[in-house]
Amino acid sequence: MRPAAEEAVFFDGISARRQVVEVTPDGRGLRFGRETWPLDRLRRIEGEGLVLALAVAEGDELPHDPARLVLAEGALAAWVRAEATGLARRDLRRGTGVKVAGRIALAGAALAAILFVFLPRISDLLADQLPMEQEVAFGQAVLRQVEGMLGAEDSLVCDNPAGLAALEKMERRLTEGQGLTYDIDLSVFDHEMLNAFAAPGGHVVILRGLLDEAETAEEVAGVLAHEIGHVEARDPVRLAFRTAGSAGILALVLGDVTGGTVIGLAGDYILRASYTREAEEAADAFAFALLARTGVGTEGLAAFFERIEGMGGDVPEILSTHPASGNRAEAARAAGTGATEPVLTEAEWQALRGICG
Amino acid sequence: MDRAGELQVSYRGDPAKLFPLALGTGVLGVVTLGIYRFWAKARIRRHVWEKVRVGDDAMEFTGTGLEMFLGFLMAVVVLAVYLAVVQLILFAVGIRFVLDPQNEMEEIAQGISIALSFLAVLPLMLFAAYRARRYKLARTRFRGIRFAMENAAGGYMLRGLIYLALTVVSLGLLWPLMTYRLEAYMTERTWYGGARFRQGGRWTGLYSAYFHVVVGIALIGLSVLVGIGGSPGLSGLLATVGAIWGMVGLVIYRVRAFGYLMSQKEMDGGLGFRAAPRAGRVVWLYIKGVFIVGLLGGVASAIIFAPLGSMMVGIEEASELVQLEFAVLGVALYLLLLTVFGALALVFISQPILGHFVESVTVTGAEALDAVRQRVSDRGADAEGLADALDMGGAF
Repeated sequence: MRPAAEEAVFFDGISARRQVVEVTPDGRGLRFGRETWPLDRLRRIEGEGLVLALAVAEGDELPHDPARLVLAEGALAAWVRAEATGLARRDLRRGTGVKVAGRIALAGAALAAILFVFLPRISDLLADQLPMEQEVAFGQAVLRQVEGMLGAEDSLVCDNPAGLAALEKMERRLTEGQGLTYDIDLSVFDHEMLNAFAAPGGHVVILRGLLDEAETAEEVAGVLAHEIGHVEARDPVRLAFRTAGSAGILALVLGDVTGGTVIGLAGDYILRASYTREAEEAADAFAFALLARTGVGTEGLAAFFERIEGMGGDVPEILSTHPASGNRAEAARAAGTGATEPVLTEAEWQALRGICG
Repeated sequence: MDRAGELQVSYRGDPAKLFPLALGTGVLGVVTLGIYRFWAKARIRRHVWEKVRVGDDAMEFTGTGLEMFLGFLMAVVVLAVYLAVVQLILFAVGIRFVLDPQNEMEEIAQGISIALSFLAVLPLMLFAAYRARRYKLARTRFRGIRFAMENAAGGYMLRGLIYLALTVVSLGLLWPLMTYRLEAYMTERTWYGGARFRQGGRWTGLYSAYFHVVVGIALIGLSVLVGIGGSPGLSGLLATVGAIWGMVGLVIYRVRAFGYLMSQKEMDGGLGFRAAPRAGRVVWLYIKGVFIVGLLGGVASAIIFAPLGSMMVGIEEASELVQLEFAVLGVALYLLLLTVFGALALVFISQPILGHFVESVTVTGAEALDAVRQRVSDRGADAEGLADALDMGGAF
């Protein structure tokens, strides 16, 4: 049964005038003034009483006409609720799904382009602009940061004189007459972690754990040659710049806009040094060539790769981005030339192992 | 209508209705890893706007979660470029002392470079503040007629930076100048249908509201002088009193400045406002709200975490998988608790304070409304995505 006509408030969407109208229900919709609103196009707007809008094809942010009809709760409102089937319908414009998917894809692509193309380019550019003197100073700061992260109160650098002499001999063997652009600064940190890393400015650091694990001086020399490869390719300083850039984005995601993230992350990144696969391969190639040229031979590095792979668990940086280090051992052997002359004498090797003693 | 042409503004919010909405949308936000927060915001605004009545007629919020989400996507891309480049340049400049300052000079430089990276987002925040207000107005309707604000965020950003610099240089004494000019800038670009708003009054008119902040600043200044004079005890006391005085003064200032600026606004056709919010009331509502939230939040955390606590007995002997499951459960419960607190704060702190501000307003010269005509809709480009990405959205 159809209810009687009722008074309602009408805003015509053209002027802000409040109009009191008499609304008459008929078979197809609501009639008032000169308007007829068909039942199937009525949509409910959140509000007290029953606030109605008319669905239209175009609309603005909503597919509704701006006009509003406000019915008080009562017989007429109840009738409309029962008869108008589309009251709660959420009209979506055609093509909304495509539009949303398109925007998501676009944003994803833009972010990926920024992270993987734009940022690396611009950070490499900035890294190349960095004067050597500043790079060396920056590298020292990174080393201090790393020492702090390894839990040291003061310097970790090992300084047993005999060990230092052996270390220097190894360094000279690998660098002298090789025409390196960097002045390599080699040191050993007193820490049990099996690791070695290169920091900006030509700093190369071996952690004591690596000396404990290595069985011959040639193995250590092999790892050193790999790290020198990173240094010569300027990988550490590039990595630091990329970290700084992506920390900006990370800070955005984390809502940290003060830049504290960069400072916190830089040392960590250097220590875990996740270079790209290409950078690792280039460093390997550099190492094989250097080891061949200097007559150290690649057998030591190959043996080291094999043993580390067998250990599993915590993998040092030099193996971290390579899923199959067995292949690297083979590659090292294949590139290999035999050793012409040992890097260190047995006594010197023992002195090096005792450098932190 | 009390007097001819006057409309009382009222707020009919009901905690029992808002809380389930806030909690439900909050939980959905957690479940969807934050994606739902745009739809949550739209739903809560639709609810809250509708509770604001001018005379008998409700406000309506027509913004959608979808457009806010799309706006956010756009803003993230823009911000990613901007922040990444800014970070990189600052890093390139500050590379020598960012990690580990060696002496006093470098420590100062490090401080400056951190301050700079904050300053780098300041223009964006001003830009976003204007855009957010513009979006809200463009999606607000009253009696079926749209509000709007002109597209002038760039000018707002520039003025904001200049007035901010003046405020800092004047040790805070010129703050009212900034408040007035920035509010006037926005008001004069605000429209209701075809009718434009104007900001009357003068910036010096805000100083009676600012009085207590000035006292606070003066006390701190005095403490510096006394400190130089050589009595550290008295100096510390003065500084503490000054800081507290200034902070309370700031609340008073914010409340009274709203009243002053609102009362001096006018719309074409002679529509105006009277507003007299009371600072004491706002502080009381805040204290009361914090107390209620603390109490109910405490009960909620007991209910949420008590079962977990009893299950935790003997966890050390459990297998690694079980321990992992408990860790995940713990994190989920923690997020749930945060959501409960957020919803409680919205309902018992933000809503009453909003209600007080709203109810303190009376519209005068309401006959002018009858002459207001509709305006075309504003597409609202980024739909406050920038403000969201910078995490500066207020309670509503």
